Amino acid sequence: MISVMLKKYYSLLLFVWGVWLLAGCSEKSNPTFDQQNFASIFDNSKFDASYFPIDMRETPDGGYIVLGGRRLSENSDFAGIYLLKADQYGKFVKEIEVPASTGVYPVGKLMEYQTKYYFFCMDAQSLQAQIANVDALLETVSVTPVQGNLTYPAAASFANNNFILLSYNNNDKLSVISVLNTDGGILKSKGYDIGVGSDDQIITEKYVIEHYLRTGRQWPFEAGVMANGLYYFNGFYNYTFSLVFTNASSDEPSNVAQGQSDKGGLSGVSYLGANKFALSRFSYGNNYFLPGKDIPGGDPASSDFGGFTLPELVPDAPVKILQAKTDTKNALVYASNTKSKQIGLYFYEQETGTFISSRYLGFSNPYEIASLIQTSDGGLAVCGTTYLAGRFPRICIFKISKDELNGQLGQ
Amino acid sequence: MKRRYLVLLLFLIAATVNAQEKKRSGADKKRKSAAYNKKSKEDDKFLEKQWWLGFKAGPNLSKVSVDKSYAVVSPTNYDPSTIDKTYKNFSLMGSQATIEVSFYFKGFLISFQPTYQRSRFEYSNQFNWMDTIPEHNVTLNYHQEQKLSYAILPLLVKYDFLHGRLRPYVQAGIYSALLLDATTIVTVSGVDQASGGANEFKNEPVIVGSKDLFAKSHWGLLGGVGLNYNLGNNVRLNFDVSYKYGMSNISSTKNRYSSDRLSGVGDAMDDLTLDNVAVTLGCLFPLRFLSSGFKTLDKK
Repeated sequence: MISVMLKKYYSLLLFVWGVWLLAGCSEKSNPTFDQQNFASIFDNSKFDASYFPIDMRETPDGGYIVLGGRRLSENSDFAGIYLLKADQYGKFVKEIEVPASTGVYPVGKLMEYQTKYYFFCMDAQSLQAQIANVDALLETVSVTPVQGNLTYPAAASFANNNFILLSYNNNDKLSVISVLNTDGGILKSKGYDIGVGSDDQIITEKYVIEHYLRTGRQWPFEAGVMANGLYYFNGFYNYTFSLVFTNASSDEPSNVAQGQSDKGGLSGVSYLGANKFALSRFSYGNNYFLPGKDIPGGDPASSDFGGFTLPELVPDAPVKILQAKTDTKNALVYASNTKSKQIGLYFYEQETGTFISSRYLGFSNPYEIASLIQTSDGGLAVCGTTYLAGRFPRICIFKISKDELNGQLGQ
Repeated sequence: MKRRYLVLLLFLIAATVNAQEKKRSGADKKRKSAAYNKKSKEDDKFLEKQWWLGFKAGPNLSKVSVDKSYAVVSPTNYDPSTIDKTYKNFSLMGSQATIEVSFYFKGFLISFQPTYQRSRFEYSNQFNWMDTIPEHNVTLNYHQEQKLSYAILPLLVKYDFLHGRLRPYVQAGIYSALLLDATTIVTVSGVDQASGGANEFKNEPVIVGSKDLFAKSHWGLLGGVGLNYNLGNNVRLNFDVSYKYGMSNISSTKNRYSSDRLSGVGDAMDDLTLDNVAVTLGCLFPLRFLSSGFKTLDKK
């Protein structure tokens, strides 16, 4: 009986099966894809609004917090603090324009500790360094002055539940490396002469001040600690932009990878472990990547470090370096600004320093790198500045999925 | 206006059907009065089945429906709906070419019509930046044109209402569309009033191969009407109007942002279904013959 019915309705069954097959193969919305891969530009319709990102972190809800700066007014000396929250799909959720009276001149990194995100800023009047924190939902921003007299914060990192801060002492013309607890108490601090000089060619102080006012070159200041307990900072020392190693106590540094006044130095520093760093350097406008470099002792010159030359990058390009992990590979991702106004991503094997692939983000409008992180889903998030209509600086985020990252790494 | 044409066409078909039915009923009466001989019975039996092979081609117009909207630009101080894409439907002409293979049986035809279809649709959106001085503003207009090439594989059931020389029919079925190629053309124009005067500009179009941004296949339902006109020499002229109603998303949900160039200019594909109306002209040839002289008896 059933077989008779089947024969009778054979055509109908075939038709239903065909529709079911087609429907099954069709493209369906998938929120996971929307999280894994997106591009966002956060636009403000105000003509004079100007934002630039400094650093970014992923929050536990899958969203992102971006620490940025903003233009306060035509006559203000320093950039104001800007914080932006995006959801897991890269859509705008909230922003905070921190009043100048609370603090100015935000400094990265944006550091996660317990449930808060910390960064350094500066008091607009006293120029004293301050520790600021914000929660993952951007509900409140709290600011705590750093004890002592640390001024002009330049770079910070977080290790062993302490902050490592590089700052500038304008009175004594010193690059100051300090170790601070989360309450702003100074545990260690030591200053090193930047070498002001009288020669017009080496007016180091000018470079430093123009950096803070954003009227000149933005120097790739960096601070951190090595496994052996030595602290390092990438900053001005003895007339040159140098990578300085110190215990933050001794009058003389333990070692210095010297630059060449303002013409040569390291543009990116990422500590890999032991005595090894992933570096990038600039030299008279040229750019070089060094994925995996042991810093030799005896105050070497960074100009002798060699490296892969990158003629496609803008002169003395800013470089951000990320250690990224996939299921089977440890990689180094270099990000920088290309002459074609794109963000270039360059993927290297961490173990061997072998180049794997590259990728370019952005088109039409100029794009500049600010920060890149590896996300909890195994992908990458790249934060930068784009200039909408070729002129309005706005923050952008590119999210690259784990699959795409694996593809870039040849897996 | 298009709706009026459609109504007019349906009216004409209905009128033709009516006239043909009347004519046929008259002929039937005459036939009833005469006895069929053995030969005519065999011929009638033969004519109950026929294979047809044909070719047809013509223009088409497309319409898209948005299931879910996506955007690269995420506003921080204005309503996101102000920069939503505006789609212009049935505005850009595409084209298609079809090979038809049909099997006729007692007034019904099962028809397989593999088609190469080139579809086009367009959308635009606008961005504004304003100064405190009202005259100082910048407006950017983004215009995106999508060109899609598909191999369409439809399976249709047709019904011939009449069996005379003019044979109107209706048809319905399903189709699967396989993406062959896609190109996106983005043109940015605008007015810059920030430099002391109104400076109108239009940039060179950005042309990007965008096959990865679209689903490799989609499916839909198809319906239409048409006319076959028997020329009497084994050739049928065919006029066909069909509407494809997309049932699944034509955008790739995984690769929506995979084109760095298009993401860079702020373009992200929405989840879309594609409808398409096509008008084709062609001809059909029978594949079964009564005799070596290629007579089909289908000479009405």
